[in-house]
Amino acid sequence: MVKYVIGAVGALLGALAGAWLMLAPFALAYQDSGANWADPTYVDFWTGLPLLVVSLVGMILYVSGLVVELRRRGIMRRPYSEPAGQPQAPGAPEGKAQGSENNLEQILLPLVTAMLKDMQERDRSRDEAHQETPNNVQQVPGKGEEGSVRS
Amino acid sequence: MAPQARGGLIVTVVGFFAGIWLFLAPFIVGYQKVGQDWTDATKNDLWTGGALIAICALTLLLYAAFALRDAARAAEQKNTADVEES
Repeated sequence: MVKYVIGAVGALLGALAGAWLMLAPFALAYQDSGANWADPTYVDFWTGLPLLVVSLVGMILYVSGLVVELRRRGIMRRPYSEPAGQPQAPGAPEGKAQGSENNLEQILLPLVTAMLKDMQERDRSRDEAHQETPNNVQQVPGKGEEGSVRS
Repeated sequence: MAPQARGGLIVTVVGFFAGIWLFLAPFIVGYQKVGQDWTDATKNDLWTGGALIAICALTLLLYAAFALRDAARAAEQKNTADVEES
């Protein structure tokens, strides 16, 4: 994101340099007003004008890149777009509700996976403990079995 | 690379070459004779050209540095996400 700001600032300075080049022959008085243009005036003016135009185009490009990046990160929203998290009107199409449900699912999926893995590991370690004590025939299937998941 | 960024970089490179042109123009066009005192026009062109070269070079350098940093961060995040998934 910073790269676009740097580019835009560089392009702005380039545009200012172009504007200065167009004015310099008259500001520094090496071109008399009304007289035919001398070689330095031609060079400065015809370098300054394209530089100004090109730098302005570059600045627009960098700023549009910055806007795209900000939108991608969710910092900036599209104008006239519907604000996120707006309550759904009754009788509205199901598509959006389904989308938010999927989002919730995506958010919860890693948590559920981690919980499942944890429970499976706990079951496995309990099984190993049972195998190590074969004489202990009478196992009380009490609290330990609670919430066990076998895979 | 985003098309906007590519266009912006091309513009910056054009600005860099415009600076080189300004720096050399007094001698190429011939309104500054070698060995004589510099005229106001020559001084203006040299200073403006030099500043333009410096600005564009610095912009390109910093842009490249920050683009590399962003790419490194993106790769790091992707690796972390891959590890979490597997």
